[in-house]
This record gives sequence, structure tokens and C-alpha cells, in this order.
Amino acid sequence: MKMGRLENRVAIVTGAGQGIGRAIALGMAREGASIFIADINAANAATVKQEITAQGGRAGALCSDISEEQSVRAMVDVALKEFQRIDILVNNAGMFPTSPVEEMQEEEWDRVIGTNLVGTFLCSKAVVPHLLAQRSGRIISLTSGRAFQGAKNGAHYAASKAGIIGFSKSLALELAPHGITVNVLCPGITDTSQPRGHQTEEQIYSQGQRIPLGRIGQPEDLVGPTIFLASDAARFITGQTILANGGGIMW
Amino acid sequence: MEKKVAVVNGGAGGIGRAVVRRLGEAGYALFILDKNEQAGGETLEELRQQGYQADYHVVELTNAAEIKTLFAAIQREAGRIDLLVNLAGGTLHKHPVQEFPLAEWIEVLNVNLKATFLCCQAVCKLMRERKAGVIINTSSNFGITGGAGRTAYAASKAAVIAFTKSLALEMAPHGVRVNAIAPGLTATARVMGGYDKAEWQRRARQIPMGRAAHPSDIAEGVAFLASDDAGYTTGQTLHVNGGMIFN
Ligand SMILES: NC(=O)c1ccc[n+]([C@@H]2O[C@H](COP(=O)([O-])OP(=O)(O)OC[C@H]3O[C@@H](n4cnc5c(N)ncnc54)[C@H](O)[C@@H]3O)[C@@H](O)[C@H]2O)c1
Ligand SMILES: NC(=O)c1ccc[n+]([C@@H]2O[C@H](COP(=O)([O-])OP(=O)(O)OC[C@H]3O[C@@H](n4cnc5c(N)ncnc54)[C@H](O)[C@@H]3O)[C@@H](O)[C@H]2O)c1
Repeated sequence: MKMGRLENRVAIVTGAGQGIGRAIALGMAREGASIFIADINAANAATVKQEITAQGGRAGALCSDISEEQSVRAMVDVALKEFQRIDILVNNAGMFPTSPVEEMQEEEWDRVIGTNLVGTFLCSKAVVPHLLAQRSGRIISLTSGRAFQGAKNGAHYAASKAGIIGFSKSLALELAPHGITVNVLCPGITDTSQPRGHQTEEQIYSQGQRIPLGRIGQPEDLVGPTIFLASDAARFITGQTILANGGGIMW
Repeated sequence: MEKKVAVVNGGAGGIGRAVVRRLGEAGYALFILDKNEQAGGETLEELRQQGYQADYHVVELTNAAEIKTLFAAIQREAGRIDLLVNLAGGTLHKHPVQEFPLAEWIEVLNVNLKATFLCCQAVCKLMRERKAGVIINTSSNFGITGGAGRTAYAASKAAVIAFTKSLALEMAPHGVRVNAIAPGLTATARVMGGYDKAEWQRRARQIPMGRAAHPSDIAEGVAFLASDDAGYTTGQTLHVNGGMIFN
């Protein structure tokens, strides 16, 4: 078999129970990485674990809530126990409920910021000591085109995703002297359950017409860029945002 | 030709050599265009020793007619061009703006921007007809930050980004992707020669990752953009600079 680009690496992928995270987990496993699936949906996490082992990969799974510090600590402990090391963290878990600011409940605001942004911080914080000890590692976090363009009825989401970029640039500066890179990956609208929370099928697919490459994204479109950022080939890339969005936004 | 074909202008330069080496490894048949015949010959010899399929053509990229003739010849010979990498360029001239001779200012624009336009134009039709192709243009950290004494270079490299986005929009319906790569300080002979040793080391240490880019770091970025891994990425600029600046 051909050597994978992520052979002997261990990756935690949050929100890997479905959608983009699942595709990334399966794709990185194909490149030889051991995958730890952390998702608040335990049944989905277990299914993806099985999918990876069925294709001959190594995987672990845990029901985790990235917005809870205790749960994130447990996620890292269990991953370490199972695989002895952590090389890559993909901060993918996220949520996108909608309400106009005027009616937005503080609770909903806190939940979105707490998951998307604070969750990214908590997971990063929990793995950083291990990456520092190894003097190597990769953190890749998912933002959204909404970070650049805003989201009508999704001000919390847009704010959280822009926050991830500012956070990642700062963390990149902190970790660069230690050979650890921190980058951001930006999908455009992608064919998962997320946009279905607030758009009809027609609204979703019709957006493909306005995207230069002529279609909306598929979860698989994010796999190549994630593997690249996680691999040795991207050793000198840090603090950047890579867009895999069919040219929907050019940055 | 059976193999995918890549045309790399500036392919005999510091970064260029690492790029053609990497693309050779990725299985491309290579056409190197460069005005530096000695460096071109050396690069070609190295590639052939590695067992890569490669050809070298001397060209002055500020000469539109030469570009036209040369690309037509390549197209005839190879029958296909899958990848165009526009790397030729550089700061060339550094002066405070009030002292910058117009002729030099335009020369910088011609090499960095106009040659990029002309080479893109020369492959567009073929790529459109084949409904496949990738173009990678070269910007620079200076295209984002600007640089004292570098009004021409910074303008040309910022312009490359907007040109790239516009061409990406024109070519996307035809299945052709157009992106830019923006190296930061990179350890090539030309650029290192512009600093004394202590100054070079000081600058490299100031970069968050503590060193200048190696040409191979940039080559890996080019190989990624060229590959199907970047199949849904167009109109973007990939910054490979050790955290020197962020996009
Ligand atoms: N789909 C799109 O159009 C799109 C566009 C831009 C960005 N993104 C981003 O990409 C990422 C993945 O999105 P997706 O489309 O696959 O979404 P999805 O809703 O299909 O999947 C999200 C996953 O995260 C998990 N999750 C949610 N909250 C969690 C928590 N607190 N702890 C642990 N897991 C949690 C969910 O259970 C689910 O498995 C998200 O960060 C999203 O914001 C998606
Ligand atoms: N080295 C760096 O620090 C750095 C940083 C940012 C961007 N860049 C960009 O990367 C690219 C490559 O830079 P490099 O450092 O390898 O430079 P280089 O000078 O080593 O290589 C440039 C090559 O282009 C060729 N060339 C230049 N003008 C030409 C012309 N008119 N016609 C034909 N060939 C011509 C040269 O002969 C040379 O082989 C340039 O576009 C440069 O602006 C370099």
C-alpha cells in the first residue's frame, strides 16, 4: 500500500459524527492517521468510528461537548489513553441556529458563541500542552464565509466564525516558535444538515448558480485542504485562512 | 503527450527550481521558460538526471510576441497544457517614489503583472476548450503590506491578486481554476544577496516561525494548488510565509 501523508499521526476531529467532520475523519484515516471522533451525538460518533475501522483505519470515539471544559478534558484524556499522542486537532464542531438580533435570546447567543468560538478555544487549549511537549502539531479550525460577509439572522454565528479567525492568528503567533501551525479552513455553503436548519432544498441548491465553480460544496471538498494543512507539506503555512468554496468569496 | 504538461515561467529561478522539481515528482512533463540561459540549462540537466521529462526555452517575458510564438509552439508539441505557473518576477528596482524613474516603474509592472497576463492569455483558450486546467500566479507578502522603496513591486503584486480573482471568475464556468501563491521572505540566492548576513539572520528571526521560507516550502504550496486536493479552490491566494503576515 502507498504510504499515507498522515502516517503515524493522531488526529482529534470534533463534530465528526456527520457532515464535513465525518468526511475529514474518513479522509485523514485513508492517509494513515488514527482518528479520535468527538461529537455530542454519541450514536453518530460510534457509526463513523465503525466506518473507519471497516476501511482498515484506526479510530476511537467519545460523546463530547466542546462547550464544556470538563468534557473537553475528558476528550483529550481518552484520546491520549487510546493513542498515546495527539498531533492534529480539527475544530470542526459548530452550530448555526437563526434569529434576528432584535429577538435573539441571550441564551441562544451564548450557546452559539460558547460552541463555535469558546469550544474552539477550549479544545485548542487542551491539546496545546501536548503539542508543545512534542514540539510539533497542527490545529485547523473551521470558519465560514459568514465571517467575512455577515449572516442575516445569524449575527452570533458570523461573530463566532470571525472570532475563530482572530483567535487562530493569535494562537499561530504564540505557537510558531515551537513549530506548531494554526490555520483556518473556510467552506462555502456545503451540502450537509447545517444549511437545512434554515433554508429550503431549493434555496440551498440554487446558490450553486452564483458560485463561480457552478455548484455548492460537498463535504469531500474540504478533505484535500485539511490533509494538506495537516501534512508536512504545509509546514511553513501558519495563521492563514484557506478557502475551499468554489470561488464564492475570494479572499 | 500522455503526461500532464506544466509550463513554469521563471522556472530556472530560486523558487522556480524547487517548483519544477516538485512538479516533476508529481509526474508532470515540464516546460521551463526563463531568460537566464545558464540557469535554465542547469535546471534542465538536473531534472533530466532525476528522470523527469523536461524542456527549456529561453524567453524574454516582457516581449508579447515572443510569448505568443513560444506558447503556440509548446501547444503544438505537447497538445495540452494542464498547468501554468507564473513565477518570473522580482522587486527589480527600489527607489523612493519621488526618485523612481517611470521607465523602471513600468519595467517592474511589465515583468510581474503584464507577463502574467500575457502567459495566462496564451493558455486560456486551450484550457477552456479542454475544459480543464490550473493557473497559479505569484504574488508576495509585499502585495499585502506594501514596502518602502517598493511602490512598483507592491503595486504589481497586489494587482496580481485582483487579476487572479478576475480571471478565476472568467474561467470557472469552463472548469479552469486560477489561484495565486504569496511567498514571504524566501531563501533564494537573489533575495539573500540583497542583505548582509547579519541583516538576513535578523529578518529571518523576526518571522514567527523563526526562519525564512525554503524554496521547497513554496513548491509544496504550488503542488497543492495544482492538485485535485484544491479542486474546489479558485480565486484565492495561498500565503506561505511562516506567519509573517496573515490573509
Ligand atoms: N455546511 C455548511 O454550509 C458550512 C458552511 C461554512 C462553514 N461550516 C462549518 O463547518 C463545520 C461543520 O459543519 P457541517 O455542515 O458538517 O455541520 P453539521 O451540523 O452537519 O455537523 C456538525 C457536527 O457538530 C456536532 N456538534 C455540534 N455541537 C457540538 C458540541 N457542543 N460538541 C461536540 N459536537 C458538537 C454535531 O453533533 C454534528 O455532528 C461547522 O463548524 C460549520 O459551521 C459549514
Ligand atoms: N524570494 C523571495 O523572498 C520572494 C518573496 C515573495 C515573492 N517572491 C516572488 O517569487 C517569484 C520567484 O522569485 P525568486 O526569489 O525565485 O526569484 P529569482 O530571481 O531567483 O527567479 C526569478 C526567475 O525569473 C526569471 N525572469 C525574471 N524576469 C524575466 C523575464 N523578463 N523574462 C524571462 N524570465 C525572467 C529569472 O531569470 C529567474 O530565473 C517572483 O515572482 C518573486 O517576486 C519571491
